[in-house]
Amino acid sequence: MSGPSPSRAAPGPAGHAPGHATPVEPKAGRVLPRLADPDAPLLVVEDLRTYFTMETGTVRAVDGISFRLDHGESLGIVGESGCGKTTAALSLIRLLPANGRIVSGSVRLYGIDLLARPADSIRRYRWREISLVFQGAMNALNPVQRIEDQVAEPIEDRLGVERSRALARAGDLLELVGIPRARGRAYPHQLSGGMRQRAMIAMALACDPAIVIGDEPTTALDVMVQAQILALLERLRRELRLSLILITHDLSVVAETCDRVLVMYAGRVAEEGRVARVFVEPRHPYTRLLLGAFPDIRSDRRTLEIIPGSPPDLRTPPPGCRFAPRCPAALAVCTEVEPPEVRFDDGVRVACHLHPPGSPGATG
Amino acid sequence: MGSRYLLRKLAQAFLTVVLIVLVNFVLFRAMPGSPERILLGRNPHVSAEALAQTKARWGLDKPLFPDQFVAYVDATLHGDLGFSYAYRGKPVTAVLADRVGPTLLLFGLGELIAIIVGLAIGAYSGWRRGGFVDYVGNGVSLVLYSMPYFLIGMGLLVVFATGLGWFPTYGMMTPGMTYKDTLDQTLDIGGHLALPLATVSIGLIGQYSILMRASVIETLSDDYITTARAKGIRDIAILRRHALPNAMLPAVTLIAVNLGYVVAGAITAEKVFSWPGLGTLTVEALEARDFPVLQGIFLLLSISVVVANLIADLVYGLLDPRVRT
Amino acid sequence: MSAPILTAGQLRRERLALRARGARDFARRFGRRREGVIGVAILVLYVLLAIAPSFFVGSLETAVTASGGRLEPPGTVHLLGTDEIGRDILNLTVHGARVSMVIGLLATVVTVLLGVVVGIISGFVGGWVDTILMRLTDFFLVLPTFVLALVMTPIIRDMLGGGGEILGVRISLLVIVVAIGITSWASTARIIRSQTLSIRERAFVDRARVIGAGPGRMMRTHILPNVMNLVVANAVLVFAGAVLTETGLSYLGLGDPFQPSWGQILNAADQAGAPGLGAWWYLVPPGASIVLVVLAFTLVGGALDDVLNPRRAGRR
Repeated sequence: MSGPSPSRAAPGPAGHAPGHATPVEPKAGRVLPRLADPDAPLLVVEDLRTYFTMETGTVRAVDGISFRLDHGESLGIVGESGCGKTTAALSLIRLLPANGRIVSGSVRLYGIDLLARPADSIRRYRWREISLVFQGAMNALNPVQRIEDQVAEPIEDRLGVERSRALARAGDLLELVGIPRARGRAYPHQLSGGMRQRAMIAMALACDPAIVIGDEPTTALDVMVQAQILALLERLRRELRLSLILITHDLSVVAETCDRVLVMYAGRVAEEGRVARVFVEPRHPYTRLLLGAFPDIRSDRRTLEIIPGSPPDLRTPPPGCRFAPRCPAALAVCTEVEPPEVRFDDGVRVACHLHPPGSPGATG
Repeated sequence: MGSRYLLRKLAQAFLTVVLIVLVNFVLFRAMPGSPERILLGRNPHVSAEALAQTKARWGLDKPLFPDQFVAYVDATLHGDLGFSYAYRGKPVTAVLADRVGPTLLLFGLGELIAIIVGLAIGAYSGWRRGGFVDYVGNGVSLVLYSMPYFLIGMGLLVVFATGLGWFPTYGMMTPGMTYKDTLDQTLDIGGHLALPLATVSIGLIGQYSILMRASVIETLSDDYITTARAKGIRDIAILRRHALPNAMLPAVTLIAVNLGYVVAGAITAEKVFSWPGLGTLTVEALEARDFPVLQGIFLLLSISVVVANLIADLVYGLLDPRVRT
Repeated sequence: MSAPILTAGQLRRERLALRARGARDFARRFGRRREGVIGVAILVLYVLLAIAPSFFVGSLETAVTASGGRLEPPGTVHLLGTDEIGRDILNLTVHGARVSMVIGLLATVVTVLLGVVVGIISGFVGGWVDTILMRLTDFFLVLPTFVLALVMTPIIRDMLGGGGEILGVRISLLVIVVAIGITSWASTARIIRSQTLSIRERAFVDRARVIGAGPGRMMRTHILPNVMNLVVANAVLVFAGAVLTETGLSYLGLGDPFQPSWGQILNAADQAGAPGLGAWWYLVPPGASIVLVVLAFTLVGGALDDVLNPRRAGRR
C-alpha cells in the first residue's frame, strides 16, 4: 500500500524550541508531501483568526492563537464549551461552514502554509496528513453505509487502492483498534458507542496521517470506555509514531495522555506548556481555576471551586484581557490592555498581566 | 429487510383497509336516507329480480349492525358493489374496470417521469444552493406548487391545443377513427396523452423537486458530511455516496405522504382533458348523483393509496438499514 | 409580611412592555424576509377585495343583471372580458375572492381547532388515549382526504336539504367547510402533538403539576401558549391547502353557482367550453388569483415558520 520509501536522512533538530522534546524525526519510510521541507517542524500555527458571520453580528471564534506541534508529540487543547477549540481544529484543514472564514494567520505543515495554498489544493492534505476523530461518532458516521466501507473509503478514494485490497486494509485497521474484522460488515447503529469511536479512530488512521486530531473523542462515553479509548490512542501513538492533538474540556484526559497542554479562553491562548509544568504550577488565573474546579479524588477539598460568570459574547469581546470580568485577580490594566504573551524558562507561555515581560524566569 | 418491519407494515395496512371499508359503510349505508340512496329502487334500468336479489343480499330489511354490515362486507369481498344509476344498471365493478386502465396509464407514466426528473432537479438544487438554477428552479417550483393541477392543464390546453393546435383537446382517442394497426392506435393515444401527461408530470415535478431539495439541504448539514469533507473526498462523490442515499429516505416518506393529494390532482386533471379515467367518472357520478359508483370509487382509490403507501414503506425498508432489524 | 416587590400596575406595564418589544423584534425579523413581505402584500390586497367586493366592483352580476355580450374578450368596458352569459369577469373574480377566502378561513378554523385539540390532548394525556387518537390520525393521514371530502359533500347536502344561508354563506358551501375540516385536521394534530410532548417534559410543567394544577388547566395555560407559535405558522399553510381543496371541489362541480368561488368560475368556464374556444380571459383572472393567494400563504407561512421557530443556523 505505501509507495516507494526514500529514507530521508534524519533531520537536524530544527530550532530546539524550549519546552519541546527533542524533535523526533518523521517516521522512517513516511512519504512527505511534495512541497514539504524535511527540516521544518511538523506543525506551526501562528496568529490564527477565524470569524463567523451571523445574522446578529460577527463572532470572533478564534482570535489569534499560536502553537507548535512536533513529531510524535501529543498536545491537549482545553477550554470551556464555545471557547473556539473545535473551530481552531477545523481551521487547520479549512473545514468551516459557509459562514466561517479564516481571517488571518498561518498554518505551516512541514513548512507549507496550508492557508496560503489555493482553495481546492487543501483537499490533498486532508486525511493524508491530518485526520480527525469527531465527537459523537453516531452522527459522524454515515448511517446507511457499512463500517468497513467507510473505513476503506479514503484508502480507495485518496490512495487509489483497488477495492478488495482497500477492504482488507480496513479490516486490518479495525483489528488494530480492537474491533473484530467481521464486525466491519455492520452498520453504525449496530455498534456500541465505544466501538463506534474505535471505528472512527480506525478510519482516521486509514491514510497513515502524520497528525490525528481528536475532537472530544471520549465525551459521549462512560468512564470505563473512556479509559479504554484513551489507552488505545496512547498505544497507537507510540506504535505508529503519530502526533496527536486532543481537544477536550476534560482536564483529566489531558493529564493522562498529553505531553503538552494549551489552555484556550474566548478564542485566545491563556497558557501553554508541558503538562508536567502547567498542571503543577499553573500561572494563568483561569488555568488555576480550571484545575481547582476539577475534583481530585485524593485531596480533601470538600467543595468544588466553580468559576463564576460565563464566557463572553464573542461578537463583542470585552476590551483588554477577555478573562478579566471573571478573574479573581484582575488588575485595572486587565480591562484596558490585552496582556502580551510571555515565555518562561520552563517552556510555558502565558498571556496575563500578572506575569508581565520581565517577571522572574521570563525569557523576554 | 427485517421480517418484523414487514409484518408491522402489512398489519397496519390491513387495519387501515378495514377502517376504510367501515367508513365506506357508514357513509353510504348508515347515513340517514341511505338505503333509498343506494337502493336501486330509483333506478328504472334494473330488473325486478336483480332488485330483490340485491335487497336480500344486502339485508336491507334487517338492522344495520351486524346484519347489514356483515352482508355488506360479504358482498364487497365477492366483488359486488352494486349497480350504477347512470350506466343503466351496469355493475359498479364493471364500470370501474372500464376506467381504471386510462388512469393507470396516465398516472403510472406521470409518477415515473416525476420521480426521476423531480428528484434529480431537487437534488441538484439542494446541492448547488443559492445558484442561479436553484433560484429560478425554486421559484418555478413554488409557483407550480401553488397551482391546482387542473389549472396547469387548462393552461397547457389553451396554449398547445387550442392555440397552437399541436394536440387534440379532449379524450383518449379520436372519436370515430379506425386504426390501420397497433402502431397507429398507439400514436393516436400518445397524441392525446401528451398534454394530460405533461400536466400531471409538471404538477408532480413541482412537488417532488421542492421536497427533495429540502431533504438534500437538511442532509448536507449532517455531521457525516463534514466527516466526508474532512476525508478529502471530492464534492461529487460526497453527493453520490453520502448525501443522496440519506436524502432519499425522508424523500420516500414524503412522497408516500403526498399520495393522497396526488389523487386529488389526478381527478381534476382528468376532467380538463376529458381523459376517460376514474377522474372523469367521478365527475360524471357526482353530477348524476350515482352513489353506488361514488362508493366504489372511494373504496378503490382509498385502498389504492394504502397499497401505494405500503409499497413506499417497503422501498424505505430496503433503503434504510436501521429499520431492517 | 414584607411589601410586594412590584405592584399589580407595574406588573401589567412590564408585561405590556415585554410584549411590545417582542412584537417589534418579530416585525423586524419578519420584515427582513423579502418573500414573507411580498406574501403579506398580496394577501392584504385580496383580503381587502374579499371584505367589501361590492365597494370595488358593485354587486355580483347574475344572469339577469349581466352587463355585456357573450364571451367578449377584454376591452375598455369590461377590463377582463365577459363570460358565456355576459357577466363581467372582473366582477365575478372580485366577488369570488370573498367566497374563496371565507370558505378557506372557516375551513382553516375548523381544521386547526380539531387538530390542536386532538394534538394537545393526545400529547399531554398520553397512554391509551394517545394511542387511539394517533391511530385515528394516522388513518386520516393515509386516506385520500380529497376523495373523502368529495363523496361526503353530496351526501351531507342531501341530508340537509335545500338552499338557505347562514351568516351570508350558503349552506351548500358550509358543507364544504365541514368536509374540508373533517378531512384535514390530521397533519396539524401530528405537529401539535410533537410539540406538546416536548413541552410536557419541561420543568415548569412539572412544577405546575406539583402545586396541584389539574390537567385541563395545565393544557390551557401552559401547553397552549407555547404551541401558539407553531399553530400560527401551521394555520397559514393550512389556509393555503384549504383554498386549494375548495377550489378543487368546486371545479369538480360541488361549488355553488349562486356564490361562485374561483373554482366554481373555472368550472363554469369549463362547461362553457372556454378552454376549447380559447377564451383565456375567462380562465386567467380566477386562475391567477388562486395561484397568487396560495403562493402568498405559502411564502408567509414559510417566513413565519422561520422567524417563530428558528432552527439551527450555522454549526460549530
